[in-house]
Amino acid sequence: MRHSYIDKYSNINSPIHRLDARVKLIYSCIFILFVVFTPIEKFFSLALYGILTLTLILFSRVPLMFVLRRSSVAIPFVIVISIFIPFLEKAGSEGYSLGILNSRWLIFWNIAAKSFLCILTMILLVSTTKLPNLLKALEKMKVPLIFIMILSFMYRYIFVVTDELMRMQQAKKARSVGGSRWFHNKVLANMIGVLFLRTYERAENVYLAMSSRGFDGKIQTIDNFSFKLRDFYFLIAATGLLFFIRFLAA
Amino acid sequence: MRLNRKAIEIKKLNYSYPDGTNALSDINLDIFEEESLGVVGPNGAGKSTLLLHLNGILQGEGSIKIFGEEINSGNLFHIRRKVGLVFQDPDNQLFMPTVFDDVAFGPLNMSLSKDEVHKLVDEALSKVDMLNFKNRSSHHLSFGEKKRISIATVLSMMPEILVLDEPSSNLDPYHRRQLIEFLNDISITRVIATHDLDLVLETCTRVVLLDDGEIVAEGSTVDVLKNKELLEAHSLEVPASVYLKEEKPTPGKS
Repeated sequence: MRHSYIDKYSNINSPIHRLDARVKLIYSCIFILFVVFTPIEKFFSLALYGILTLTLILFSRVPLMFVLRRSSVAIPFVIVISIFIPFLEKAGSEGYSLGILNSRWLIFWNIAAKSFLCILTMILLVSTTKLPNLLKALEKMKVPLIFIMILSFMYRYIFVVTDELMRMQQAKKARSVGGSRWFHNKVLANMIGVLFLRTYERAENVYLAMSSRGFDGKIQTIDNFSFKLRDFYFLIAATGLLFFIRFLAA
Repeated sequence: MRLNRKAIEIKKLNYSYPDGTNALSDINLDIFEEESLGVVGPNGAGKSTLLLHLNGILQGEGSIKIFGEEINSGNLFHIRRKVGLVFQDPDNQLFMPTVFDDVAFGPLNMSLSKDEVHKLVDEALSKVDMLNFKNRSSHHLSFGEKKRISIATVLSMMPEILVLDEPSSNLDPYHRRQLIEFLNDISITRVIATHDLDLVLETCTRVVLLDDGEIVAEGSTVDVLKNKELLEAHSLEVPASVYLKEEKPTPGKS
């Protein structure tokens, strides 16, 4: 069975794809920090950040529509945050001065725009970097190995588990003739239980396979990263632009 | 053949599952160097359980010696370097994000240098004809491709004994044929547990028939696989190719 993979555009050959995964990771983090700390009234800065991100997306040759569709994951976060806006404003009028900008709508748009920009950058990062490379970049940057292993196993097995669920659903459909809604819900609960047991069993088998190949509790990997001159140029240029937007423009 | 030294020597092996079910009883078996041994038997006969004993994943009562060295808790890493075990489900065997990482997993655990690991990975992948899949993610591959890479993950550790559990299950005829050729091309000791009796006929020189945790027959491949009464008494059947070919089929080189 086929699924869409989170890094399905990571095989394109573009200047952005060719960058070192660490550089992209560092850039994304810096970008997010800049965006988050942009003062609320600096619309122009936010617009420039947007243009910068858009340019990078165009350079990466990842379809724009794909990126925009993916960016909808930001919507629930924006909604959750905006629930608190009315309360925020009351505190704001006493605590810190927002002056004439003290309006609910402005705060809302600010949060929406900032989350959107951050999400776009993250989508750009994951769709231009193969996940294994991203994991290795995280490892190089001293993220604890246990987190990386969890992510790595999740990336490897989420589709195996989804396949199992889909097969079970097909088998259920093949034998389902009528039955009440309540009955089908009960069956679904059973399926989740079975899926849990199978996952548990698989975990045990994977561990056996790891032990068979000499696993002693410490994961070791090799990376073939090489920090090239163009990575350096990109990092300098991109960070420079961010500084320019933040402190000089607008 | 029998002049070769013993690769595996199993003496009075007994094993019962934690719930008390008897899985293996009184197994005595010698496997010789460079030999290719088929382990056949019905479902639940204990084939997989026996294989899991060969590299010390399971440890029952009795003794198992690998090239004269008895398996105990102290020498497991050493033993697992010598005995490469390929599991039936390649999704369990391939657990790293890329093919390279998976094939490099064993060698890296052997604390080899970076260059050596790269060399071993390339060699192992070439042997199963999968070298250009090195940077692919395992979950993008077809079943046959995963199966071949599973074998490479073990070959990269340069084992002296290759143990395969149902290597041909779910393979299409083309890839099954490739597997048979591969098994006949290598000269290290092979232990193959399978229901695929035709595969046994083509790749193994000797067969043990396991049922209900006991060895019920042992002998040359042709002798065992031609014995209709014996096979049918243990839920197996004489492979069709035995009837088709009048002359003795030619098993693996060794």
